[in-house]
Amino acid sequence: MAYFCIHFAHAFVYDGAMLFRRYGTFTGGIDLPDEKQATLDKPIRACPPLQRLRVSLAPCGGRPAEMVVQAGQLVRAGDLLARAADSGGVDVRAPLDGRVGPMVSVNLAGHGEFVSTPALELTELSEPPNLTGVPARDEGWNDLSIHELGVRIAEGGLATCRGRVRPLWAWIQQARSQRCRTLIANVMENQPMVTADHRLLVEHGDDVVRGLAMLGRAIEARELVLAVDHRRTAQYRRLLATSRLHKVSRIALSHKYPTGADVILVKILTRRETPPGRSTLDVGAAVIDAATCLAVCHWVLAGRRQVGRVVTVGGSAGQPGNYYVPFGAACRDLVAPWKQALVHGGPMTGLWCEGEAVAAPSTDAVLALTEPAPVVPRPCIRCGWCTDHCPARLNVAMLNDEYELNLLDSSRRAGVMACVECGTCSYICPAWLPLARRMRQLKWAIRLTDARMPLLAGTAT
Amino acid sequence: MTGLPQPTSASPPASGSSLACNGLARGHAPFLRAPEGVNTVYLVTFAAACAPLAAGVAFFGWRALVVAALCVATCGIAEALCYAFTRVPALLGRSHALLTGLLLALTLPAFVPWYVSVTASVFAIVVGKAVFGGVGHFLWQPALVGRLAVAVLFPMTLNPSAWPLLAQGHLVVGDVEQARPAENYRGWRRAEPPGNAHAFALPKPADTLAGLTNKDDPPFSALLFIPEGLPQAKPAALMKMAPVNDLLYGARPGGIGETSAILILIAGLYLIYRNYVKWQLPLAFLAAAAFVVAALPVALARPGDTCLTVWWPAAHEGPDVGFIYVCYQLLSSEVLLAAFFLAPEMTTRPVTAGGQIIFGAAAGGLAMILQLYRLSPIPAYVAVLALNTFVPTIDSLWRPRVFGRPLLWRLRRKQD
Repeated sequence: MAYFCIHFAHAFVYDGAMLFRRYGTFTGGIDLPDEKQATLDKPIRACPPLQRLRVSLAPCGGRPAEMVVQAGQLVRAGDLLARAADSGGVDVRAPLDGRVGPMVSVNLAGHGEFVSTPALELTELSEPPNLTGVPARDEGWNDLSIHELGVRIAEGGLATCRGRVRPLWAWIQQARSQRCRTLIANVMENQPMVTADHRLLVEHGDDVVRGLAMLGRAIEARELVLAVDHRRTAQYRRLLATSRLHKVSRIALSHKYPTGADVILVKILTRRETPPGRSTLDVGAAVIDAATCLAVCHWVLAGRRQVGRVVTVGGSAGQPGNYYVPFGAACRDLVAPWKQALVHGGPMTGLWCEGEAVAAPSTDAVLALTEPAPVVPRPCIRCGWCTDHCPARLNVAMLNDEYELNLLDSSRRAGVMACVECGTCSYICPAWLPLARRMRQLKWAIRLTDARMPLLAGTAT
Repeated sequence: MTGLPQPTSASPPASGSSLACNGLARGHAPFLRAPEGVNTVYLVTFAAACAPLAAGVAFFGWRALVVAALCVATCGIAEALCYAFTRVPALLGRSHALLTGLLLALTLPAFVPWYVSVTASVFAIVVGKAVFGGVGHFLWQPALVGRLAVAVLFPMTLNPSAWPLLAQGHLVVGDVEQARPAENYRGWRRAEPPGNAHAFALPKPADTLAGLTNKDDPPFSALLFIPEGLPQAKPAALMKMAPVNDLLYGARPGGIGETSAILILIAGLYLIYRNYVKWQLPLAFLAAAAFVVAALPVALARPGDTCLTVWWPAAHEGPDVGFIYVCYQLLSSEVLLAAFFLAPEMTTRPVTAGGQIIFGAAAGGLAMILQLYRLSPIPAYVAVLALNTFVPTIDSLWRPRVFGRPLLWRLRRKQD
C-alpha cells in the first residue's frame, strides 16, 4: 500500500531514467534566500584543536548517565564514560583521547530550548580526527537477519540527530510497533546557511544511503526514500549506484521553506497528514536524518562509535566551513574570535546561545550572526501574511489574539498543536511580532496542562 | 551534580499581556526577518493611492490638491495630538494616519470647503481610530468613518444635483468653483466649452442611471434599443450617458479619486502584485456587484404611463447591451475605489482568503443595491462600513481546514 501511495502521490513524474524524481509541493510556505554560498562547497574538515570538551551525561534529556570513570583517569576515544541510567538515555563515550576532569554543567540544545545538564570535562585532548568513509564492503551486514541487525544497532548506543534527540533503538522500536512501511531520509535542509547534511551527502553519500538501508531493514520498511533539495541534485550523482543497489528512491523536492519539516515532507511524499500534535510515526512514515544514517553505517560496518557530527560553522565567523566536531566542544570555540551573538542551529529554527552551549547530536550548525537591532513589536495590523504562508494552514493572526487574551482552549480548538514551528510567521510579520515563539508557548502551555492537570485538559482557558 | 535537568531559558507560561511586549530583540528564532515592515506597507499603499489622486488633480484642478493636502495634514496632526493626550503607542502610526488622510481625500469631492475636509479628517482619526486604540485595533475603515460623518453633517454641500468637471484647456489649473451647467453634454471631448467658466456642472452618472429603478415615473423606455412602436418621447438610458471612455480615464463628475477607472485598476493591480491586497477581495467585490446589477429589475416606461419591470436587465436586450449596461453601472460610481483601496484595508477585512471572498461579495452586492435604489449618496462606502461590522464574525466562522484534521472537523465533535 505504501508503495502505491508513494508512486501515485506526486504531481509531476518524470521518466525513470532521471536521476531524481520530482514531486509536488504544499500549501503555504515561503521562498527564503539561499545564502549558502559561503560553505556550500567547503569540504568537511577536522575541527581545529580543542583545549577541553564537556561531554554531556544526558544527551537525550532525562536522567543523566551513571559515571564509570574517575576524575583524573586517562581515556581513549570511544571509551565508555557513563552508562545510561534508563532506556530513555544512551551510553556516553569519550569523543577524543584525554584526561577526565571534574563534573561541570553545560547547556545542551533540547527541543526548542537549552537544557542545563551535568557534563564531564575532558582535557589534554588528542587531535580531533576528520570524518572518513567506510570501504564499500556490504557483506558485513547483508547476512544479518532483521533481529541481528537490530541488536547490532542497539549495541551501538546511537542517538537520533535531529529535533528531539532520543536513543535510536527506542526510535526503531516505536517505528516497528507503529508498522512504519515508509522510511524517509530528510536531507532537504532548506534553511539558509546550513550545509552540513549537504556536505555529508556529497562526500559520504554512499555511507548515508547504506545507513538508510540498514535502518530500513531494521524497521522493516518497504519503501526507502532519499528526499533532497532540487537545487543540489547535480552534486549527488555519485549516490546513484548505491541507492539503486539498496532500492532507495531518490526524490528532489522544491526548495520552498519548510519542505524540510517532517510532517510536511510526509504530506508531500505520501499524502498522509499527521494529526495535530502527533508524530509522523503515527501515520506510518518514519523520517530520519543524514547524520543518523551515517552513524548507523559507521557503527554497523566499521564499529565506529557516534562521537561527533558534521557542523556548519557559518555567518560572520573567522573560518566558515563544515567541520567534523566531537560532541562536547563548546560552540564558542568553533567560532573562536567571535564575541557577539551566536546561534545554535539554523537561522529559522535555531536557538540563541546563552552561556556554555556545547555541540550535541542535534547541532547541525553554529552561526555567528550580527546582533539584530532591537525592535519593538507593533500591534498586529491583520495583514494576514502569517495565515497565508502558514504550512499548517493555521490562522496565526487569530491565534495571536488568543495568545494575547490567554485563551488556551480556544487556541487548541483552532489547531495550534498542528504548528510545525518553522518560524515562517515571525519571518514574514511586518509588525515584527514574535509569532513563532508565541505559538510555541501556546503549545507548551497546552502540553503542560494536559500532562499535569489531566482533569482540566480540554477545559482550561 | 543536579537531578532532573532544569530548563535554563525561562519559559514563561502563556500569560498574554505581560509577554506581549517581548520582541525579537534577543533570542528567539527565526533570526532572519523579511524586509517589509508596517511602515513599508502603508507608505507603498500611500504611493499607489497617489495615482487616482493624480487623475483627480487633472480633472478637478488645484482644489483637489488642496483638499488632499488638507486631509493628509489634518490626519497627521490629529494623530499626533491623540498620541500626545493618550500616550497609546499604537497611535504612533504616522504612516497610517497619512494613508487615512489620502484615502479620505480620494472619497471627497474637490469643491468642498476647508472645514468639511478638516471635520472629516478629525472624525476619521479620533472616532475611527483613536477611540478604538490606534493602528490595528479599529473596527471600521477610518477614512470611511470620516466620509460618512461629513455626509451626515453636510448633506447639502456634499450631494449637490450638479457636480463640476473641468473642461479641456482648464485641466489642473482650473477652478471647479467656476462651473456652468452644460447644454447637450454628450461626452467630455466633444462638449462645447463652458464660456468664461472653467468647468461643466453635470449630474453624476450614477444619478442618471438611478432613473432606471424609478417605478413611479420611469424616465427611460429602454436600456439602449427602443422597441418598435413605442413613442420616442422617453430616451434610452445609455444614450443619455457620456461615452464609456470618459468613465475609464476619469472625465466624469465624482469624488477626487473615484473617477479614473484605469488608474485605480493599475494601482490596485500593483497592490495585488505586492501582496498587500489579496486578489480574491476585489474580484469578489466586483463580481458580486456585477451580478446584482445584472439581476436586479429595472423599470422601463411604456405607453399610457405604465411601467415595465424587467428582471435580469443584462439579458433583456442581448448580452452585448447587457455587458455595456453592467460596465456603466460599475464605472459610474465609487465601486472601483472601494474595491481596490477601501475594502482591502488590512485591519478591517477578514484575514483568510475565504473570509475575504465572503466579505467582498457581500459588500459588493450591498453597494450595488444601495446605488440602484439611491438609498445612500455614498453607496459603496456605506456597504463597506456595514460589512466591516461583521468582520470579526466572518473571521471566527470561516476557518480553513487545519493541516492534519479531517474536513469539517468542527462538525465531527472530535478533539484535535
